[in-house]
Amino acid sequence: MTSQKIVFLYALIGSLIIFNIGIFMGYMLESSRIEEINSMYASTEIKILDQITQINSLAVMEFDCDSLMKENINFANDIFAEARLIQKYEDANILSEEIISQHKRFDLLRTLFWMNSIKIKEKCDLDFHNVVYLYKYNEPTIEQKSRQGMISNLLGELKEKYGEKIMLIPISGDNDIPSVNLLVEKYNITEFPVILIDEKIVITDVNVLNDVEKYLN
Amino acid sequence: MEVLSSIYLAYMFVSIYFLLLFIFLYLHNKKNLFAYPELKKNYSVSFVIPAYNEGETIGDTIKHVFDIDYKNIKEVIVVNDCSTDNTKEVVENLQKKYPKLILVNNPKNLGNAGRSKNAGLKFATGDVIAFVDADSYPAKDSLKKMLGYFNDKKVGAITCPILVRDANKFFEKIQDIEYRVIAFTRKLLGYTGGIYVTPGPLALYRKEAIKETGGFDGENMTEDIEITWNLIHHGWEREMCLSTHVSTTVPQKFSDWYKQRRRWTIGGIQCMAKYKHEIFKRGMLGMFVLPFFILQFFLGVVGLGVFFYVGGTNILTNYLFTKYSIVADVPLLTMNQLYITPSFLNYFGIVIFSVSLIFTFISLSIMKKTMMKKNNIFNVIFFAVIYLMVYPFITLIAIYKYFKRETAWGTHDKKSIRKEI
Repeated sequence: MTSQKIVFLYALIGSLIIFNIGIFMGYMLESSRIEEINSMYASTEIKILDQITQINSLAVMEFDCDSLMKENINFANDIFAEARLIQKYEDANILSEEIISQHKRFDLLRTLFWMNSIKIKEKCDLDFHNVVYLYKYNEPTIEQKSRQGMISNLLGELKEKYGEKIMLIPISGDNDIPSVNLLVEKYNITEFPVILIDEKIVITDVNVLNDVEKYLN
Repeated sequence: MEVLSSIYLAYMFVSIYFLLLFIFLYLHNKKNLFAYPELKKNYSVSFVIPAYNEGETIGDTIKHVFDIDYKNIKEVIVVNDCSTDNTKEVVENLQKKYPKLILVNNPKNLGNAGRSKNAGLKFATGDVIAFVDADSYPAKDSLKKMLGYFNDKKVGAITCPILVRDANKFFEKIQDIEYRVIAFTRKLLGYTGGIYVTPGPLALYRKEAIKETGGFDGENMTEDIEITWNLIHHGWEREMCLSTHVSTTVPQKFSDWYKQRRRWTIGGIQCMAKYKHEIFKRGMLGMFVLPFFILQFFLGVVGLGVFFYVGGTNILTNYLFTKYSIVADVPLLTMNQLYITPSFLNYFGIVIFSVSLIFTFISLSIMKKTMMKKNNIFNVIFFAVIYLMVYPFITLIAIYKYFKRETAWGTHDKKSIRKEI
C-alpha cells in the first residue's frame, strides 16, 4: 500500500489556512465592536462639546439651567450604559489593542462630563450629587475584581433609587490619563476602587448601600 | 494578547490540524476503508494466550479461537501465569476437545502479560504468531481477512478493531464509542504508516519480525505499545484491517477503568522514555509517533494547569463577589450580566467542537458496518465532553506514579482490564 505521508503536510497547510481565516474573522468581529464603540464615542463627544459650549457661552447668551440639567441627566444615563457595554466588549476582546485606547478616550469624556457637572451645579445652584466611581482597570486582583463587581451592582441600585438626584460617573483610575491622575492626586486617592461624592467625600471601604447613601441625604 | 488566549489558540491549532489530517485521510480513502488484501499464501498461525486468573472467560476465548475459519492453525498456546483460580482446569478440560491446545504453566508468577507472551512465544512454530487476550473473542473471519496484509514483505504486524462485548450498561456504551472512534482513526493513521499500537486483544505478528525485536519488553506496562514501537524502530510496517474485529470485555466499574487507563498512560511514558533518543530521527517513530505522544502528554498537563488556574480564579472571584454582594444586599445577577458577549475564541471553539462532533458521528456511523449497535446522541456528547476530560487527570497521576517508580502491575489490575485498544 502506498503511504500517504504527504497528508501531514496538506493538513498543516489546511490548518494554517483555517486558523488564519479564524483569526481574520476574529479581527472582523472585534473591529465591528470597536466600530460600535467609535460611533458611541462620536455621539457622546458631540453632546459633551455642546454642553461645554453652552457653559462657556454664558457671557453672550442666556444660560438655560433646566435644559442643561436635563441633558446632563440623559448624558449620565448614557455614560453608565456605555461603560457597561465597553466593559463587556473589553472582556471579550482578544486580538485588538485598540479597545484600550477607546477606553481612555471614554475616560477622558467622562472626566470632562464630571467637570461640567461641577460647573452646572455651581452656576445653576442645583441639588444633585456627583458620584464618581474610580475603579482599577489594569490587572485588578481577584479581591478587587470581586469588590468592583459588587460595587458596580450597588451603584446600579443607587441610580435606580435616586434617579435624577445623582450623576453617576465611572472612570478608570489607573489608566494613565494625566488629567485623571491629577484628580486622583488632588483627592489623595491611593487605592481603588473608590467612590468620590460631591468632590468632598472619599469612600474607600464600600460594603453596603448605606456607606454611600448616608452622604446623599 | 494574553498568555491564556495564546494557549487557547495553540490548542485550537492542534485540534484543527488533527481534525483535518483525519478528514483528508478519510476523504482520500473512504472507498477502500473496508477492503483487505486477498490471501495469497497459506500462513501457518500459532496463537498465544497469556492468562492470569481468567477462569471465567478463557474457555470462551479458546472456543472462539478454534472457531476461526482458517485451516492452518498450528497450535493454540495458553500461558498460565500461576493463576489461583480454575484457569488451569478449564484449559486442561478443553485440551481433550482441542488436541492443538497447549498449556504452558509458568513455574513462577512472571507478573505481567509481556513476560507470559515471551514464554508462549518459545513454543510457537507458525509463520505468524497471533496474540489474544484471555477475555477477548476474535471474529470467525479474522485470520482470512487479516493475513493477506502479510503479502507485503515489509508488514510485521496486523491489528483490527476491538469492539466492546455486550455494551449494555452506560459505562460500557461510552467505552464502546471510544473503541470504535479509536479503531476508525487508527485505520486512517494506517494509511500514513502511523499505527503506534497493536493491541493485546488480537494482534498478528510475522515471526521473523517479532524475533528481530527480541520479543516483548517484560518491564513495560503496555507491552503491546512497546512492541509496536520496537517494530517501527526495526523498519517493520503495521496494518489495520477494518473489515473484521475482536470483541472484548471492558471494565464495568470506574475504579477498574481508572486503573486500566492509568496503567496504559504509565506504559506510554515508559515507551517515551525508552525511545526518547529516536525523537525527530527519520522515520515514523521519530517524526510522528514519539512527537505525537509527547504532544498529547504536554497538552494534557498544560490543559489541566490552565483548567485549574481558570477554574480556581473563577471560583474564588465568584465566591468573593457573592460574599460581598450578600453583605451589601445587592443582586447577585442583573439583566446586564445575563447578556453574554462571546469572544471570537468562543465562536472559534464552538465551530471546532462542532466539526469534531460531526466527525465522531461520521466515524461511528462508518463503524456500524462492523457493529450494529446504535448509540444515542447523549452518549456521544457525554463521551466528547465529560469522558475525555478525565484523561488529563489520569496523565498527571500517571506521571507522578512513573517518577515514584510505581510501575508494577497490581494484582487486581492483571485480570480483565489489561488490554490496549
